[in-house]
Amino acid sequence: MTGGTIWKGTIHFADTDIAVKLHAAVREDRIQFHLLHRHDLVRLRQQMICALEKKPVPAEAQIKGFEVEEGKYLIVDPEELEELSPESSRMIEVHEFVTRDGIDPLFLGHAYYLEPDLPARGYNELAAALGEMDAAGICTWAMRKRAYLGALEARGGILRLHTLRHADEVIGAGSLQLDEIPLTERELKIGIDLINQLAAPFQPEKFANEHQKKLQQLIEQKVRGEKVAILRPKRLKPTAPDKLLEALEASLKKVA
Amino acid sequence: MQGIWSGTISFSLVAIPVQLVKAVEPGRVSFRLLHGEDFSPLARRMFCPKEEAMVPPEEIVRGYEIGPEQYIPVTAEELESVSPERSRTIEIVDFIDLAEVDPIYFDHPYYLVPLKGGEKSYRLLAEVMRRTNKAGLAKFVLAEREYLVAVRSTEGALALTTLHYREEILPAGEIAPRDGTLEADVKSRMKKSIGKMMADFNPGDYGDERRERIVDLLKRKARERPPVEAPSVEEDVEEGPVDLVAALEEIMRTVKKGT
Amino acid sequence: MSRTFVEIAGKRLSLSNLEKEFYPAQGFTKASVLEYYTRMAAFILPHLKDRALTLKRYPDGVEKDFFFEKRCPPHHPDWVKTAQVPLEGGEPMTVCLVNDLETLTWVENLASLELHVPLARTGSPGIPDAMVFDLDPGDRANILDCARVALILRELLSRLRLEGHVKTSGRKGLHVYVPLNREGTTFEETKTFSRAVAMILQKHYPDLVTAKMAKDARTGKVFINWSQNDPTKTMICVYSLRAREKPIVSFPLAWEELERLAERGDPERFHVTAAEAVARAGKTGDLFREVLVKKQTLPHL
Repeated sequence: MTGGTIWKGTIHFADTDIAVKLHAAVREDRIQFHLLHRHDLVRLRQQMICALEKKPVPAEAQIKGFEVEEGKYLIVDPEELEELSPESSRMIEVHEFVTRDGIDPLFLGHAYYLEPDLPARGYNELAAALGEMDAAGICTWAMRKRAYLGALEARGGILRLHTLRHADEVIGAGSLQLDEIPLTERELKIGIDLINQLAAPFQPEKFANEHQKKLQQLIEQKVRGEKVAILRPKRLKPTAPDKLLEALEASLKKVA
Repeated sequence: MQGIWSGTISFSLVAIPVQLVKAVEPGRVSFRLLHGEDFSPLARRMFCPKEEAMVPPEEIVRGYEIGPEQYIPVTAEELESVSPERSRTIEIVDFIDLAEVDPIYFDHPYYLVPLKGGEKSYRLLAEVMRRTNKAGLAKFVLAEREYLVAVRSTEGALALTTLHYREEILPAGEIAPRDGTLEADVKSRMKKSIGKMMADFNPGDYGDERRERIVDLLKRKARERPPVEAPSVEEDVEEGPVDLVAALEEIMRTVKKGT
Repeated sequence: MSRTFVEIAGKRLSLSNLEKEFYPAQGFTKASVLEYYTRMAAFILPHLKDRALTLKRYPDGVEKDFFFEKRCPPHHPDWVKTAQVPLEGGEPMTVCLVNDLETLTWVENLASLELHVPLARTGSPGIPDAMVFDLDPGDRANILDCARVALILRELLSRLRLEGHVKTSGRKGLHVYVPLNREGTTFEETKTFSRAVAMILQKHYPDLVTAKMAKDARTGKVFINWSQNDPTKTMICVYSLRAREKPIVSFPLAWEELERLAERGDPERFHVTAAEAVARAGKTGDLFREVLVKKQTLPHL
């Protein structure tokens, strides 16, 4: 079940135009909690509170301001922002193609499946071409008054769009300021051997959301009024830097 | 850097103390919600509709809805007890080839940074994963959710990406083209066009136009009229703790004599 | 755009538009600004260290638009130290920490003439290192009135066995800092304390002092802004330039000097220009050093 069509557009590059419909590719179904007042279990609502009056402010009395200096704001009307919205267009314009592995996963946002919209000639051909070339099309489109940057890809004969984050939204690993720490060849070698021993194919079906089921059980237990055992989280003792080689060797012995 | 979570990441018998930090943040232009009447900034707070009052964090508990307006409260300790082995540990169970992972599984990216004492083993894990081109697969629990995550090496750092579960990926079969025919000449013409348009991906080439337009709008507005000023919050005009006020009064008498 | 490359501590920086006049009335260029901060680095860096910098950038000089930025510009060099600070009701925000000369130079290359920092360090955001009394003259009051209030405040503080230090704001007012440097004191306490002090001074010197924010209450008086003792507020850093016609600096004054200036009665003499700041700091050292090291506890709380 893919749910309904989210948006319709036309993929365009060179002399190719292919009409498609967007569908969600992922659906999360997770247990939802609400926030309650501890003493009477009344459900709390999120409210915007005025810092001056300490009172909730209804949506119609809220305005948007851009802070230009501490405590000083430029007021921006919703209409002014509306005017900045991209012009509505049905075009998914491909600007360039890149190799698929040239896109750092840090940039990937949401995924959508593309369904051919009749008459969608060229859909199968584009899916096959992208698949064979292991390529992705970097494209832009405007959907629901927002401009998107994305990657057009094909898997299993189906085209999809992944939204991409803008460069200034991604924090570079360099800003983490990690120190270079020398490692010995022996530490590296055993580390590599160990990883190769633990290597496995990616099998997502192996991993079910067990936690979700356990949560369900916890809730049922509580509904029945049973006492829940409180278990302390397991904390591992960090491997001391001078014990690293020893730990690696012991690990390798264990798995080999 | 302030972490979202801290604990240990482990593979086999090696345990590394780490902190989870974010890898993405929304762009620079962000607006603040203000009260239209007095231009006072608004803060998001939890509010009790019954008592019509703000509720401080220590009075808040999570609850699961079992019926209309009926909730079962669940404490943080109880939640942590559900998977105590995973709430403070990211245990790598497999090392996989990241190229095998369909990007549709990628959810949200973070970085891990080493905490004190973990620097060396962190460096080792990052370097060994870089050399073997492998990523670690693990499960861990953050708040009430359990995440399947892939930990990979990037520029000497460990990047952690939460993955969707298999059951969350919708099957695409239903939207697949009914007509499977493929015109070879159309495909080869497309491949030619694609080949001509091949380039290296440089995210910096694609500016966020909306953001640029907003900045222009703000510049224009700043010239047109001055910004409004939020009132400083005049707090209750009580004088202060009794002892302090008494001491200050006492001192003021002598100070004034002297000046 | 003209560019000059410099290397500081092995970090290469490209400086742009050094000839641009940032204070056109004085012919004080971007190069002069960079020179000022380089020469004052030893004095200002300890006061900026590990504090979330708010940038106030004047890319076209003090007479043109400025940008106010709390967020560290996303395209900062890798070596710029950053920290995450929680935002009210939102995601944490990445801020710059100016801990070394190369970062100070980078920040000044962005034309952040004014450097504003909070009273707490990012590692302990709820714990102020100092309590501050921001003395702000209302209409028809001036820095001489502020000096009177500062001297009364000094007297009051000394009887509470507290030591205070004063600096000019670089605009019209004075800032009195009471060093704390203790883990136990919270913003809640410094705010309560400073508010009580402001109220008592207002009560005893009703013609000189107000503790109220309202603009009309301030006319002819000195507003003691105690509400600066708040984790979300910033103060202009000591030794920072101010963006006004002349390159004037927020500069520390010895109490004896404040007494002398108060006696002379000329508001203009309170101003310390960039050139004077370099000469004076070289002679006296950092008069604000105690603010960073002196440990004091607020009594009666």
